[in-house]
Amino acid sequence: MKVCKKILVKILIFFFLAVTLLVTLGPFLWVLFASFQTNKEILDFTLGFPSGVQIKNYTTAFQLAPIVRYYFNSIFVTFFGVTINLIAMGMAAYVLSRFQFRGQNLIRLLFSMGLLIPGAALLLPLYTSVSAVGLYDSMWGLIIVYVGFGIPQSLFIISSYYKTIPKEMEESAYLDGAGFVRTYITIIMPLARPSFATAGVMQFLLCWNEFQFALTLTTGDRSRTLPIALYYFKSSFASDYGAMFAAIVLVSLPSIIVYIILQKYVVTGMVAGAVKG
Amino acid sequence: MRIKKRWIILFLLPGIALFCFVFLITTVQVFATSFCNWRIGGEISFEGINNYKQLFMSDDFLSALKNNIIWIVLQSTIHVLFGLIFALIISRRKKYSGFFRTVYMLPNIISSAALGMLFYNILNPMYGPVNKIVQFFGVKDFNVNWFADANVAFFAVTITWLPFAAIVALLVIAELSAISEDIPEAAVIDGANELQLNIYIKIPLVRNAIGTGTILAATSMLQKLDILIMTSNGGPGNKTMNLPLLIYKTAFKDNNFGLANAQGVILIIVGLISIGLINKIYRMNDPI
Repeated sequence: MKVCKKILVKILIFFFLAVTLLVTLGPFLWVLFASFQTNKEILDFTLGFPSGVQIKNYTTAFQLAPIVRYYFNSIFVTFFGVTINLIAMGMAAYVLSRFQFRGQNLIRLLFSMGLLIPGAALLLPLYTSVSAVGLYDSMWGLIIVYVGFGIPQSLFIISSYYKTIPKEMEESAYLDGAGFVRTYITIIMPLARPSFATAGVMQFLLCWNEFQFALTLTTGDRSRTLPIALYYFKSSFASDYGAMFAAIVLVSLPSIIVYIILQKYVVTGMVAGAVKG
Repeated sequence: MRIKKRWIILFLLPGIALFCFVFLITTVQVFATSFCNWRIGGEISFEGINNYKQLFMSDDFLSALKNNIIWIVLQSTIHVLFGLIFALIISRRKKYSGFFRTVYMLPNIISSAALGMLFYNILNPMYGPVNKIVQFFGVKDFNVNWFADANVAFFAVTITWLPFAAIVALLVIAELSAISEDIPEAAVIDGANELQLNIYIKIPLVRNAIGTGTILAATSMLQKLDILIMTSNGGPGNKTMNLPLLIYKTAFKDNNFGLANAQGVILIIVGLISIGLINKIYRMNDPI
């Protein structure tokens, strides 16, 4: 009886994991394989390896849509979106977690309030604000918005790490005559490197993957980012399946690579960033 | 001392400025102009709760609201349950655990625009593998157009996010690993089997992680614009419309700014109510 039950549990677990694997990995593998197939092979649904690995779809994808341009834009936006966010929030987290001053709790509360506002509610007001300062259809407009949306998460990740750094570290620096900024840059920031890495990876994913603001705050190819390239394919080149699949692979791959390499930080970030709303 | 004060202000300034630009001014604008008649190029004029009246008489809005609430409920229950079961299995630390943890995360890592596109193709009636596989197993005339058929579109959209509960799982796994070994051990000595151990010991101990995961799951339903645009685009009819997509369409297709912001206010309120309710249900502020 007990053995029976044990076997049943094993079977259920196996079944659960098998289905999970099928629905998560299945679609990825299919798109990856199909991206090397011809349109005819895709329509015939030849599962398994393509007849010969051909990269034609990828060259077509590059020809059909300005993917190189979008790649460049995505890298530019992500680079500054991450850097500015880390600099600004590293500084804010430092004073918020180290010093007592009036209005401290209010500022902390304000920053975490960002978590309560769904981005979609701000689609239109951000469009008007960004246009008002002349940054519509500019990568800097996107960068500012992404830096802003990363505030609550980065602040929380970095400031909870600062709290684990013993105060004696800076006190001795002050005694040695180092100033405020110098202490922060030479003592605190290096010690808090892991938290900057965690917050940075999370911010990378935010900037690289974001779609709705990239769609509403830009127009034309000048400043659109990679996720919009997919939209482009869906609306204009939906009949060239192979190229469309190649585009999906091209957009997803950087996120997956960063995740595989920096998995430890992503996991820490997801857990730490899940501040109680 | 005075110097320090100056530095405190300077260190906070960039963060506060960015916050004001992205969250504060915009949120104030959403609330204020939701009471105004404001269309593209036109003057803004106060008109009380007209926009809200109009909303609650419009079929588009009511079906978007209804769908959104159904999705929140599904995501807070079934989705969270998936994540919980996954976490309980994986935290047994078998050889395969690491692999599954990594793989399960993939749909949460890539751009959801790409995820939507992935499902758009997987479920394509012409070449999508789902229909092909069903045909292969005997149902020769199986030809469902998943995202365009009014009977199945809601289901098709739902499965693009319902099974992927990696974040819930991650939170629960982290909390499970913090439970001291003694507690489960004591229960096993007292004769508890694995199921009892899970239900009576482990799950209550990770209540807070489940609650946090539920809040994240519920509020993620207020963000699903990209997947919808990539798959069903809210259709057919309003079958898969949600509030974010409705806001997008009202603001950028109909150019009715006042109305779009009234929808935005409702979206924010739905989010606050969900968070409040989940907080209450899981008694998240009580000690365990």
